[in-house]
Amino acid sequence: MTAARSLWNGTITFGSVAIPVKLFSAITPHTLRFREVRATDGVRIEHKRIGAESGDEIAYADIEKAYDEDGEQVLLTKEEIAAAEGTHPKVVAIEHFVQADEIDPVFYDKPYLVGVRDGGDHAYRVLLAALEQSGKVGIGRFVLRSRENLVAVRPLGGALGLQTMRFDDELVEKDDLEVPTLNKKPGDREVKMAGKLVEMLQDDWTPEDHEDTYREAVMDLIERKRKGQKPRKAERRPEEGGDLADALEASLAGGRPKRRTVAERKKATKDSSSAKASSAKKAESGEAAPKKKAAPKKKPSATKAKPESSASKRTSRKAAAKKKPAAKKKTTTKKAGS
Amino acid sequence: MARSLWTGSLSFGLVNVPVQLVSAVRDQDVRFHQVHKDTGERVQTMRVASTDGEEVAWEDIAKGWETDDGEMVVLTDEDFEAAQPEKTRTVDIDLFVDLQDIDPVYFDHPYWLLPAGDGAGPVRAYRLLVDVMGSAGQVAIGRIVLRAKEYLVALREQDGLLSLTTMRFADELRSPDEIDAIPQGATGRPSRREVDDAVALIGELTDEFRPARYDDCHRVRLLKLIDEKRRSGKVQIPEPEPEPVAQKAPKDLMAALEESLAKARGGKGSGGTGSGGSGTSKRKRSAKSTA
Repeated sequence: MTAARSLWNGTITFGSVAIPVKLFSAITPHTLRFREVRATDGVRIEHKRIGAESGDEIAYADIEKAYDEDGEQVLLTKEEIAAAEGTHPKVVAIEHFVQADEIDPVFYDKPYLVGVRDGGDHAYRVLLAALEQSGKVGIGRFVLRSRENLVAVRPLGGALGLQTMRFDDELVEKDDLEVPTLNKKPGDREVKMAGKLVEMLQDDWTPEDHEDTYREAVMDLIERKRKGQKPRKAERRPEEGGDLADALEASLAGGRPKRRTVAERKKATKDSSSAKASSAKKAESGEAAPKKKAAPKKKPSATKAKPESSASKRTSRKAAAKKKPAAKKKTTTKKAGS
Repeated sequence: MARSLWTGSLSFGLVNVPVQLVSAVRDQDVRFHQVHKDTGERVQTMRVASTDGEEVAWEDIAKGWETDDGEMVVLTDEDFEAAQPEKTRTVDIDLFVDLQDIDPVYFDHPYWLLPAGDGAGPVRAYRLLVDVMGSAGQVAIGRIVLRAKEYLVALREQDGLLSLTTMRFADELRSPDEIDAIPQGATGRPSRREVDDAVALIGELTDEFRPARYDDCHRVRLLKLIDEKRRSGKVQIPEPEPEPVAQKAPKDLMAALEESLAKARGGKGSGGTGSGGSGTSKRKRSAKSTA
């Protein structure tokens, strides 16, 4: 855990209110860092820049960016490209506010946490309190890493958060896809059984219950390889073709007959007889998760933005987000005994 | 159509549906390539071994893990697959939750999850999942392994298809407590009046969320200046505007709120969204400054 470092200093404005702020990444991804190596001997790879025709190495200082326009090459210096950043690169200007639940989550991209600098405390707290109270999100623009972004300023776990947003034309719509026609309606019995299965699997969203187990498996694999042991043999789940209704029926009856690796089996012994899909799944993933619920960690999930979509041109996406479950049937599927 | 990034199966109970993953986001950025600044020759990246300088073909590159004592462990794609074979080939649905309960901060990259192939059986099973998830109005939570990293995923019905969004794990999110610059605690809480005024101002500045209205101005400006450079051989670099002056004292903040509120109520319709609206924001900024 390294101390959080600010990525950007600037000012958030709305109306004539100006709040001096700092920005921090809201995420600390636990991606394992690998190096590029030559497969045969593990020697590290270096990247060399060479001329496409001459093959000569080109120094970084001699490199410029070029844009191809109708076969013509237009060269631009870094300063010239930076001119596209506009005239107030240090400001998050909130242009207007929207109801948080009108924004489909598909628009949200990278999240940041906002801190204050230079006596902006008071205005920061006022904006945060007002956003929390109104359920609204400020939409603005600002330049980060040489690129202007559309952003949403919204409460995040008791702080001000800022999340970059995707532009509408960056989203791939259904019409852009090649999909086989889905006109074969499933039978009533199948729909009913599948619906029941969904009900069985309904649960609360408790993000802390879900942990990354793959990373551990990769670390284990690295250790085995280092010691010259063979990696564990891959077990394949048998392909289930066959009748859809039969598969549904079997799922409702007893869950999936699981094949497990040795390590998973060891960790999951206690739960092996359980037919309850959700708790069995958790045990199977190698975590002692079912016991954990008593002590939830503090996480920035306190705010419940309600991501329903809006009356917008994006009507069909909206329709999907807007549907609400008729009733919450959670009581029957709560993690019993956890 | 965008090409599929992954094919495998979606499993729901004992039902397995062959599916493929397609990105739901396309890169619209203006693309440059690198050239030599004097000759204009295109620059290529060559991958060479650090010891002997020999070129290494793409297919001969593997991932290396450096241990604490400097040893390099080489891992191939097959190794990664062997780590948790089922997870690299299937998305298992673990549970169903309400979409509204998930803060968007958990969502990472959106994809479409489409049927792989057009066999009658798989397509019917896919359709069944679309129908059932659509009517339940809930999202399915599962897991997937992509590019040697495991993700939680949220699946839901959108436009009569299934969408899949990779998610962040709870311990990948930073808590505000870790950041000193985030105001904490009860001291310095704003007054009721300040918050009410701010809420009223937000109310005046509220509009519908219409995503299509937001143009990527950066892209537009970039293309414009490329054109400028092509025609005239140079680009005018604008003077940056000064940073707005913050209201540090509560009374200045109050004054700024009330002034903004009066302005918003008086001259409505100034909340221009097109190009960052330099005209209106300039006026707003210079109207009030504090010492």
